[in-house]
Amino acid sequence: MTESQESHTGAAPLLEARGLTKDYGGTRALDSLDLAIAPGEVYCLLGPNGAGKTTTINLFLGFVAPSAGQALVAGLNVSTHDRESKRRLAYIPEQVMLYRNLSGIENLEYFAALGGQGSLGRERLVEILVEAGLDGEAAGRRVSTYSKGMRQKVGIAIAIAKEADALLLDEPTSGLDPTASSEFSALVERLRNRGVAVLMATHDLFRAKDTGTRVGIMHYGRLVTELSTAEVGHADLERIYLEHVSDNGGPR
Amino acid sequence: MIHHIVRKEFADMIRDGRFRWSAILVGSLLLVSLAHGWVQARKASQEHAAAQATAREHWETQGEKNPHSAAHYGVYAFKPRLALSFVDEGVDPFTGTSVWLEAHRQNDFLLRPAQDVTAAQRIGALTAAQVLQHLVPLLIILLTFGAFASERERGTLRQLVATGVGWRELALGKALGASGALALLLVPAAVAGATALVVANPGPTASPVARGAVLAGAYLAYFVVFLALSLAVSARARSSRTALVFLLAVWVVNGLVAPRVAVDLSKRVYATPSAFEFARTVEREMADGVEDIAPPDRAESTQRLLAEYGVERVEDLPINAVGVYLQESEEFSNRIFDRNYGALWDAFRRQGILQEVLAAAAPSIAVRTLSMGLAGTDVEQHRHFAEAAETYRRDLMRQMNGDMTENSLTGDFSYAAGAELWESVPPLEYEAPPLGWVLGNRILSLAVLGAWLAGAVLLASAQVRRAEVA
Amino acid sequence: MTARTVLKNEWRLLMADRPLKIALGLFVVLLGYALTNGVVWLRFQERTVEATTSGNVERASALRQELEAIEAGGQPSSPFADPRSPRVLGGPSGSHTAVLAPGPLTALAIGQSDLLPYYYDVNIYTNEASFHQNGEVENPLNLMVGRFDLAFAVVYLLPLLVLALSFNVLSEEREQGTLALTLSQPVSARSVVTVKLAFRALVVAAIVLGVSLLGALATGGFGSPGRILLWSVTAVAYALFWFALAAWVNALGRSSAWNATVLVGAWLVLVVVLPAAINAAAGLLHPLPSRVEMVTAQREASNDAVNRRSELLARYLEDHPEMADGVVADEPGLGALSWAATDAVNGRLEEVAAEHDARRAEQTALVRRYRFLSPALLAQEALLDAAGTGDARFADFQSQVRAFAERWREFFVPAIMADEQMNAGVLADVPTFSLVDGDSADLARRATAPLAVLAGLLALIGAAAGVGLGRVRGAD
Repeated sequence: MTESQESHTGAAPLLEARGLTKDYGGTRALDSLDLAIAPGEVYCLLGPNGAGKTTTINLFLGFVAPSAGQALVAGLNVSTHDRESKRRLAYIPEQVMLYRNLSGIENLEYFAALGGQGSLGRERLVEILVEAGLDGEAAGRRVSTYSKGMRQKVGIAIAIAKEADALLLDEPTSGLDPTASSEFSALVERLRNRGVAVLMATHDLFRAKDTGTRVGIMHYGRLVTELSTAEVGHADLERIYLEHVSDNGGPR
Repeated sequence: MIHHIVRKEFADMIRDGRFRWSAILVGSLLLVSLAHGWVQARKASQEHAAAQATAREHWETQGEKNPHSAAHYGVYAFKPRLALSFVDEGVDPFTGTSVWLEAHRQNDFLLRPAQDVTAAQRIGALTAAQVLQHLVPLLIILLTFGAFASERERGTLRQLVATGVGWRELALGKALGASGALALLLVPAAVAGATALVVANPGPTASPVARGAVLAGAYLAYFVVFLALSLAVSARARSSRTALVFLLAVWVVNGLVAPRVAVDLSKRVYATPSAFEFARTVEREMADGVEDIAPPDRAESTQRLLAEYGVERVEDLPINAVGVYLQESEEFSNRIFDRNYGALWDAFRRQGILQEVLAAAAPSIAVRTLSMGLAGTDVEQHRHFAEAAETYRRDLMRQMNGDMTENSLTGDFSYAAGAELWESVPPLEYEAPPLGWVLGNRILSLAVLGAWLAGAVLLASAQVRRAEVA
Repeated sequence: MTARTVLKNEWRLLMADRPLKIALGLFVVLLGYALTNGVVWLRFQERTVEATTSGNVERASALRQELEAIEAGGQPSSPFADPRSPRVLGGPSGSHTAVLAPGPLTALAIGQSDLLPYYYDVNIYTNEASFHQNGEVENPLNLMVGRFDLAFAVVYLLPLLVLALSFNVLSEEREQGTLALTLSQPVSARSVVTVKLAFRALVVAAIVLGVSLLGALATGGFGSPGRILLWSVTAVAYALFWFALAAWVNALGRSSAWNATVLVGAWLVLVVVLPAAINAAAGLLHPLPSRVEMVTAQREASNDAVNRRSELLARYLEDHPEMADGVVADEPGLGALSWAATDAVNGRLEEVAAEHDARRAEQTALVRRYRFLSPALLAQEALLDAAGTGDARFADFQSQVRAFAERWREFFVPAIMADEQMNAGVLADVPTFSLVDGDSADLARRATAPLAVLAGLLALIGAAAGVGLGRVRGAD
C-alpha cells in the first residue's frame, strides 16, 4: 500500500451516501451516514457487530429501503434506479454462495449473464477466473468441492466479468487463511488500480490498513471517525478503533 | 431415563403448532367420519331390515297359485350391513345391495350405491378407514421425520449423545413420545368407535367385539410400521428435508400409487370376461350344456318315472312329472351357474390374492385388506352372502318343485298352493362368518403386515445404531 | 436475455440434480404405465361394443329368416317364441342393444366407464328398473380402489411433482446464499422466480401433454380436437395453479421446510380432505332414498297390476284413445291385458324413479356447487368430460336410450293392443339406436364454469404471488 492514495480527490464519487438512515422497528441501525467514495478508492468500514456496516451495504444494493437519506451509485439514486444502479455494482458477500452442483465456470457464466454481460464464451470465462486467482483445472470442477477462498475468487471473477464501477465487499476475508486472505487483498488492489471504487466492511484492522485507502469507524449506526490509512500506522489504527468503539456513548 | 426422553418429546410435539393443527384436523376428521359412517350404516341397516321384512310379507301373501308360479315370483334378498361396516364401508358401495331369487336363474346383485353418485363423489369417501389408512401415517411422518435429522442440524444431537444416553433409549423414547401424542387423538376415536359398536344394533356379525379388537390391533401394527420407518429414515438422512421428501414419497407410493398399480396388474394377470361375453356364455351353456353337463331330457325323465312307478301312461303317475323335470332343469342350470360364477369369483379371489402379495411393496394394501375383512365389507364376505342367498334360492326352488311333484298330477295346471306352503319356507336368515373364517382368508395379509412390522422395527434399530451425530 | 440466462442455468441445475432427474423419470414412467392401462381398457371396451353391434345384426337376421320361413309355410320353432307376435319380436328375444361407444379419449381417463353401464338391451319391457343394471363385470375391489389412468396421475400426482419441483424455488436460493448474489445483479426476484417456474412448467407440461397426445394419437383421439384442447388446457391450468401456489408460498419468505409442510398440507386439503368433506356433507344434507325402496315399489305395483288388469286396460285406453281402435272392448286379448299391466308398473316405477332422481339432483347440485372449492374436483370434472368418460356423457346416453325405448314401444305396442301379427316386411322399419354425441359446443358450455373458476383461482394466487415476490429483497 504505497501508491496513489491521492486518487480520490477530484473525480465524482461512484458510491455516495447522503444522510443515509435506516430504522428497524424502533432501533436505528444506521444514523445519517454521509459518505463519498471516488474511483480508485478503497473505503474500509470498521466497527463491531451491529455497528451498521452490513446495513450500509444492503442500502447500496437496494436490498432494504432507507428510512431517510439516499444511497447513490454513480450519481443514481438506488431507490429510484434499482436496475441501473445494480448494473454498475458488484457485490461479494461474506460467504460467496454458489450453485453447488455447477462448476465455477457455469456459475460465473450465469451471474455474468444476469449482470448484463451476455455470453462470454468459455475461454474468456476461464481467463477471468484465472485472473481472479483460480487455477484453470479447478474452474471446471463442481463448486461443492471448493474451499471458501476459491468461492471468494469466483465472487471476484463475477465482479471482474461485470466490469463494475463499484465493488461492495461484506467481510470478504473472515474465515480465510492468511495466504488466501492476502491473495484476496491483491485482487482488490488490482481492481482499485482500474479505477473501481470499493466499499469494504471488515473486522480486520490489519487488512483495512493494508488494503484500504480510507477507513471509517462505525459504532451504533453512526460513522464516528474517518481517516486516511496513509496517515496512520497499524498500532495507531488499533488504538483509535478501540477508543471509538468502547461503550461510551451508545444510543441504547 | 427413558421417561425423561418420552416426556420431552411429548411436550415438544404437542407444543409444536404444526402438530397441533394437523392433529386437530386429523382427529376431527376421524371423529366426523366415524359419526358419519355410523349414521349411514344405521340408516342402511334399518332400510335393509324393513325391505327384507316387506319381501317376506310379499312372499307369504302372494295368494293362491301354482308353486312354480310362486317360484317365478320369487323373493328378494337384501344384503345386511354388518356392525363394523361403519368403520370401513369397503367394497359395499360397489357391490349390489339386493338380488332377486327366482326360478331358473341366478341373478346378479343389483343397485350399486356408487352408481348413484358422481365421479367427484367416487374419488373421495370420508370413512374412518380412509383417515386411518392415509392421514394418520402422514401425521406420523410429520411428527417424526425430524426426530434425529433436525436435532442433528441444530446440533442438539451432539449434546444429547454426549450425555451418555444410548441410541436405543433415545429411539425408544422418541417413538413413545410420538405415540403419546398420537394417542391423544387415537384413543378418543377408539373409545368412540367401541361405544358406537356396543350401542349400535350389532347386526348379523359373529363376535363384533373380537373383530373390533383385531381391527384395532391391525391398525396399531400399521402405525408402528410408519413410526419405525420414519425414525429409521430420520436417523440416516443427511438432512431433515431429505428425510421429509423421502418419507412423503413413501407415503405417496404406499397410499396412492401402489394400490392402483396393483389393481391394474392383477387385472392383467387374472383377466375377467366382459359382462357381454359372460352373459352370452351362460346363455349358450344353458341352451346346449357343456361336455359333462347335459341339459335334462324331458322324454327320458318321463320314461324313467314310468319305469319307476311301473305304469304305462303319464296320467297314471301318482306324481307330477313336470315338477320332477323342473327340478332337474334347476339342478342342470345350477351346475352351469356354479361353473361360470365360480370361475368369476375365483378370478376375483386370485386378483385379491395378487394384490395382497403386492402389499409387500405397500403396507396400506395389507391393512386395507384386513380392515375390510374384519369390518365384513370385503369381496369374500360379499361372496359369502351371495352364496348363502343362492343356497336359499335353490332350497326354495326344490321345495316348490317338490310340492308340485307330490301334490299334483302331470298335466294338472289348476293345482294351487296357498299361504300354508309359503309360510312353511323358512325366511332367509344370514349368519355372517366367524372371526376365524375371516382371519383364515386373510392369512396372507396378516403375514405381510407382520413382516412389515418386524422389518420396519429391525430397520429402525439398525439405522439408529448406525446413525451419525453430525 | 435474462430469461434465457436463467433458463439455461435452470437446465444445468436440473441436469446436475440426480434425485430430481430420477423423480422426473419416474413420473414419465408412471404416465406411460397409466396410458397403457387406458389403452388396454379402451381395447377391451371396443371389443364389447363390436360384439353388441354384431349381436344386433345376427339377432335381426335370425328373426328375418324365421319370419320368412314361417311366411313360406313353416312353423315357428316354439309356440312361446313365435316371432310374428309383437310381444316376441319387440320383446327380449328381439331386443336391440343400444351402445355407447367409448369416449374419444377413454385411453386417457377411464373415468366412470368401469362402473356405469355402456350398453342396454332395449325391448318393450325396458323401464326405469332396466337402467339399474351393473356395468362391466368387475371385481368390486378394483372398482373401489380405482384405476391408474392418466386422469388420476394428473389430478393427484401432478400437483405433487409440481410442488417437489418448486416448493423451494426461492427459499433454497436464500438458504444456500445465492439469492443475495443474484439480486445484486440488475434483476428482480419476481422475474427470476417467474422464469424459474416457467422453465419447470415447460418441463412438466411437455411431459404431460406429450404423453397425452401420444395416447390420443395411438387411439384415434385426434378425431376430436376440441376434446384434446380441453384436456390440454385443463391439465396445464391445473399444473399452473400449483406452480402459482408454490410461488406464493415462496414469496412469504419462510424456510424450505416450512414451504414443504404448508404446500403438502394444501395438497392434502384441496385434493383429499375437501372432496371427501363435500361428499360427506352432501350425503348428510341430502340423503338419497334407498334404491331398495324401488324394488319394493316395483313388486307392489306389479302385484297390484296383475290383479287389476281389466281395470288398468280401461284406464290405459282412456289415456291412449288412439290405441282403442284395435282393441275389442268387451273381449280384450291377452296381449292388451298384459300390456296394460306392464304399463301400470312402468308408470309406478317412473314415479319412484322421478322422486329418487329429484333427491339425487339436489345432492349432485350441492356437490357441484362446492366443487369450486377444490381445484382437484374442477380438474377431474373437466378432464373426464373431455375424455367422454364423465357423468355427463353417461347421463346423456341414458336419456337417449330412454327416448329410444319410447320409440321402440311406439312401434310395437299398437300391434300388441290390437293383437296383430307382424311379418318380415316390418323388420326394416324396426327402430335402431344411433348415438348422437354432444357436439363441441355442449362440451365447451359444460367446461366453461370449471375452467373459468380454475383460471380465476390461478389469477388470484398468481397475483398474490406477484405482489409477494415484488417485495422480496436480497436481505431483510
